Amino acid sequence: MLSASARVFVRRAVGTSHGHGSLRSSSSRLFSTASSSAGFDSYDDDSVTLTSLNSMFNPTEEHKALRSMLQTFVEREVEPQALEFNKKEIFNVDLFRKLGDSGMGILGLTVDPEYGGAGMDAAAVCVVHEELSYSDPAFCLSYLAHSLLLVNNLSTNGSHEQKQQFLPDICSGAKIGGMCMSEPNAGTDVLGMKSNAKYDAEKKGFILNGTKMWITNGTLTNDNDGSTGDCFLVYARTGEKKSDVTQFVVEKGMEGFSCGQKINDKLGMRASNTAELVFDNVFIPADTHVVGEVNGATLCMMRNLEIERLGLAAMALGIARRSLDEMKGYAGERSAFGASNLYQFGQVQKHIAESYAEYMAGRCYVYGVANSLDLSTYGNGLDADGTKLYCAQMSKNVADRAIQVMGGYGYVGEYVVERLWRDAKLLEIGGGTNESHHKNMCRDLRRMGRTPLD
Amino acid sequence: MRILVGVKRVVDYAVKVRVQNNTVDLSNVKMSLNPFCEIAVEEAVRLKEKKAADEVVAVSVGPKQCTETLRTALAMGCDRAIHIQTDRRTDYVDLQPFAVAHLFQKVVEQEEADLVLLGKQGIDSDCGQTGPMLAGLLGWPQVTFAAKMDLEGDGMMVERETDAGTETIKIPSLPAVVTCDLRLNEPRYATLPNIMKAKKKKVDTIAADDLGVDLEPHNPVLDIFEPPPRKEGITVESVDDLLDKLRNEAKVLK
Ligand SMILES: Cc1cc2nc3c(=O)[nH]c(=O)nc-3n(C[C@H](O)[C@H](O)[C@H](O)COP(=O)(O)OP(=O)(O)OC[C@H]3O[C@@H](n4cnc5c(N)ncnc54)[C@H](O)[C@@H]3O)c2cc1C
Repeated sequence: MLSASARVFVRRAVGTSHGHGSLRSSSSRLFSTASSSAGFDSYDDDSVTLTSLNSMFNPTEEHKALRSMLQTFVEREVEPQALEFNKKEIFNVDLFRKLGDSGMGILGLTVDPEYGGAGMDAAAVCVVHEELSYSDPAFCLSYLAHSLLLVNNLSTNGSHEQKQQFLPDICSGAKIGGMCMSEPNAGTDVLGMKSNAKYDAEKKGFILNGTKMWITNGTLTNDNDGSTGDCFLVYARTGEKKSDVTQFVVEKGMEGFSCGQKINDKLGMRASNTAELVFDNVFIPADTHVVGEVNGATLCMMRNLEIERLGLAAMALGIARRSLDEMKGYAGERSAFGASNLYQFGQVQKHIAESYAEYMAGRCYVYGVANSLDLSTYGNGLDADGTKLYCAQMSKNVADRAIQVMGGYGYVGEYVVERLWRDAKLLEIGGGTNESHHKNMCRDLRRMGRTPLD
Repeated sequence: MRILVGVKRVVDYAVKVRVQNNTVDLSNVKMSLNPFCEIAVEEAVRLKEKKAADEVVAVSVGPKQCTETLRTALAMGCDRAIHIQTDRRTDYVDLQPFAVAHLFQKVVEQEEADLVLLGKQGIDSDCGQTGPMLAGLLGWPQVTFAAKMDLEGDGMMVERETDAGTETIKIPSLPAVVTCDLRLNEPRYATLPNIMKAKKKKVDTIAADDLGVDLEPHNPVLDIFEPPPRKEGITVESVDDLLDKLRNEAKVLK
């Protein structure tokens, strides 16, 4: 009488809205339903250990509600489009706008409500990135570029007037953009950038020249028509010293600003647009479009990289969790050698158990750091690097094991995990390569000398 | 017009429940707003948006965690909430539809509601009895399994699901009780700004024991067990084979 019949019924009744392809067996239960509660779900918390873990991952009722709301959104709207948009290598702008005012309201997640944001914290950032990446890490990467690299950066480093001018439109989703740091010849060695801006005293502004590479949301269209995204934070040299870098707001339509190319044929993150942006004598008004101090942008950069890296680490958690769900579901239902499931085989047990333990270790590290990270401060570089270093590799390994456990099916797009595996690889490169994390972390650890870790 | 919406906290539809110690194990199980109640909330909020209703009040019976479920309803657009608190399990074992209907009756009378919207059933116990019992206790007209609802004059036209299709029923005038079925609407999301706003809305808590209602279950639950695992099927060679088996083994064809 309890549960089974009703559950089956609800599932069947709502599941028809998105049919599954032929390859997808009836065991692909994950997203077979559409209806669920859209907000404050709760767990019955009898068990002491799990309760405290839950409260680590969902530190307040709002975090719990945010996660639950996103799970519903992801299940209904993100998952059904993920396969197609990634296969075609196109960005889903319409869905992206639904993250703004017309839907979820999470584009200005960390921004003060005064400027159109939700005023939430680092843990909320992790919740969102984890949940979106559970289904579509590429879509999430576009979200990250917009909400963290552009929005959070402006909201942390911009003046009151700039926040009033720029934030409402980018928090609402009316405008979509990102941040330009990397160049064709300078990635890890970011301060080796060549883009430069010269002050023109007469015109009271800077003249910006240079090329930026790998810019997420650099273009929003899918046909390489040269159009750019709407709004960007751009780093450029403004002085003699290596660290003389300034941050500018560059908007679509400014003369001399164009998209060089949409970068195609990416291994993963294919539903996220990546582009080369060109700045050819772009005039930047000094009184409104310079963010922070002239020659003072390295601090803004380093500071924003902390939350960016934590966000990327949280994306890895989503990838790992989904991979685990897929592999354990499959293992439970696939029969072989007379066994009714793959759990009977020691080697499969190792894949699943190690994946789970590593995922939980990563999750605790990420939320542990997030829960103690105050977005208005900085100096948490060691663990921002550490979480991303650990979780990126962890998610790639877990996705890899999921493919292995699922055999030939795991190798095919419809079964999701091969895409997650390709997406996970980006996390070892974007926002800092593994090697750059090694470098940064060892710089910090070395500074500690013999001071014991506590 | 004031609408009262029932909001039940149930085991999430996606959870595979386990039976332990002769009951459904609720520890560390994800709990959510009952999907049919979610539809009821959506319908009520739409009536409010159309200015057909002045106030929508969400009501939930259950443990303290019900406030989270009520917050979902508030984030979807309900104006305020009433939590009838009890530590009894609400999935039939300790608290049954008859008692819940009595509790609702008290609130409906106290709030002077004009319309009560409920889910057609809770997906935990699947009884589908609270709505009809409540209508009976109140002496109000009722329509169950609503698939479409339109206000008309002082009353409303409700299309309801039946086994053979739908039938349309006219309620000449309110008050009334309507229970909501799946096709009535597609509930909205509780968005982040609305979740934040919901924090400020009022939730009144009343102890179920204080309402003077007999909460004891009248139907004892004798046993709870998991559905037996499905037996493995067989592959038949031909249609004739199939017909033969349906006729002679399963005896479902004559
Ligand atoms: C899909 C995608 C989206 C991106 N989005 C953005 C974006 O929105 N904005 C943006 O600014 N950038 C973006 N990037 C760029 C990304 O941040 C860079 O690719 C990354 O920082 C690495 O730089 P690089 O590609 O120039 O590689 P390099 O820096 O040239 O590195 C090449 C290799 O050398 C190693 N290496 C370099 N220096 C050292 C060292 N000192 N010690 C040890 N090893 C070293 C690296 O680890 C790597 O293995 C994106 C990249 C991709 C692929």
